[in-house]
Amino acid sequence: MLQNYLPILIFLGVATGLSLLLLGLGFGFGALFGIRKPYAEKQSTYECGFEPFEDSRIKFDVRYYLVAILFIVFDLEIAFLFPWAVSLSKIGAVGIAAVGIFLLILVVGFIYEWKKGALEWD
Amino acid sequence: MISLHNVLMLSGVLFSLSVAGIFLNRKNVILLLMCIELMLLAVNFNFVAFSRQLGDLHGQIFVFFILTVAAAESAIGLAILVVLFRQRKSINVEQLDTMKG
Amino acid sequence: MSFTEILFYVFSAVLVVSALGVITARNPVYSALWLVFAFFNSAIIWMLLEAEFLAIILILVYVGAVMVLFLFVVMMLDIKVEELRAGFTRYAWLGLPIALLVIGEIGSVVWVKSQDDKALGLSSVASPAAYAADYSNTKALGQLLYTEYLYPLQLAASILLIAIVAAIVLTMRKRSGQKVQDIGAQISVKAKDRVRIVKVAAVQPETGNTVEGQS
Repeated sequence: MLQNYLPILIFLGVATGLSLLLLGLGFGFGALFGIRKPYAEKQSTYECGFEPFEDSRIKFDVRYYLVAILFIVFDLEIAFLFPWAVSLSKIGAVGIAAVGIFLLILVVGFIYEWKKGALEWD
Repeated sequence: MISLHNVLMLSGVLFSLSVAGIFLNRKNVILLLMCIELMLLAVNFNFVAFSRQLGDLHGQIFVFFILTVAAAESAIGLAILVVLFRQRKSINVEQLDTMKG
Repeated sequence: MSFTEILFYVFSAVLVVSALGVITARNPVYSALWLVFAFFNSAIIWMLLEAEFLAIILILVYVGAVMVLFLFVVMMLDIKVEELRAGFTRYAWLGLPIALLVIGEIGSVVWVKSQDDKALGLSSVASPAAYAADYSNTKALGQLLYTEYLYPLQLAASILLIAIVAAIVLTMRKRSGQKVQDIGAQISVKAKDRVRIVKVAAVQPETGNTVEGQS
């Protein structure tokens, strides 16, 4: 059973090893051979020669949040549909009806969101 | 074969770490919500471990519903947080004492 | 010690370290990223516990959606981290013993139960039978979810509906004074809505005065 997932484990190991190796090479060679002479002027932040005018972190708009909420809800809906699709031959008409009602409830939310204009970007 | 005790201990350690996190980050609402997510994860570990041990899939169904409810909870919680920040310009729990008796 | 057990110990150690990272990180963004890492490790451990569907759902829903939402919120609010970090360790003296107490309590219960060979002991439960080669976790879950759990399923849908409605009601605000292009109105416009044909009488040179147009 679990040995089916061995390729994923190997992939994880290779990915971890490779990223550690590359990071280690970069930092290691930098520490060994790089010339490091920091002083206050060099380390100060600047934008095109000026002092930065504002914080470099800009605030996200709240509309991204609404899109993310919509994404969560419909992501979960898809998650509920996976087992349904796989076991469709066993659960029969009852399962189809159950998913119909399930989707209907969520479509109500979708229509609400659409009509409220939460999907419009401007 | 992973023994049940190990998973139960892991979930206990996770749960107590998130309890400690609530004490440490008691001012920051976002971190409080994250600690609650961690707690739910620890609880889910118990369900999954017992489901495996007893060969009973009802535990996994329960975890699925917990995940659903937790996602809805964090969505609404973060929405409240956004409104709160808009009103008060702060997410410090200590400043939310308007209803103090 | 089997290979599965070694993997379990490795990934649980990483999981505990990442949980520590969540509660002690200096910046909420780092906390969120540590939490993503914790979810990944949990998914791997759930995979080891043969709950494959839940492991994938944990990554799809939690890492893919919920933590993105958390990161959006952290980025959306400009939080003064220093202010919130002030007095970080003030209640550590209380939090640490409580955490240790919880670990101790759970540990003692688990230990006692693992020693006990009687009816309530954990070791009295037979270790689970291995699944058949063609066993599908997702399929089994589906058969259970769509037969026995029909009503909870609809409740879950209602909770999701409430989440949509609450999020819109709470966070959406209409901006006024915006010039928005309404494409539907633009397309469905008729010529008579936009153009008014005005008949203008010719100018009569004798008088030199312009005559007002008659529509």
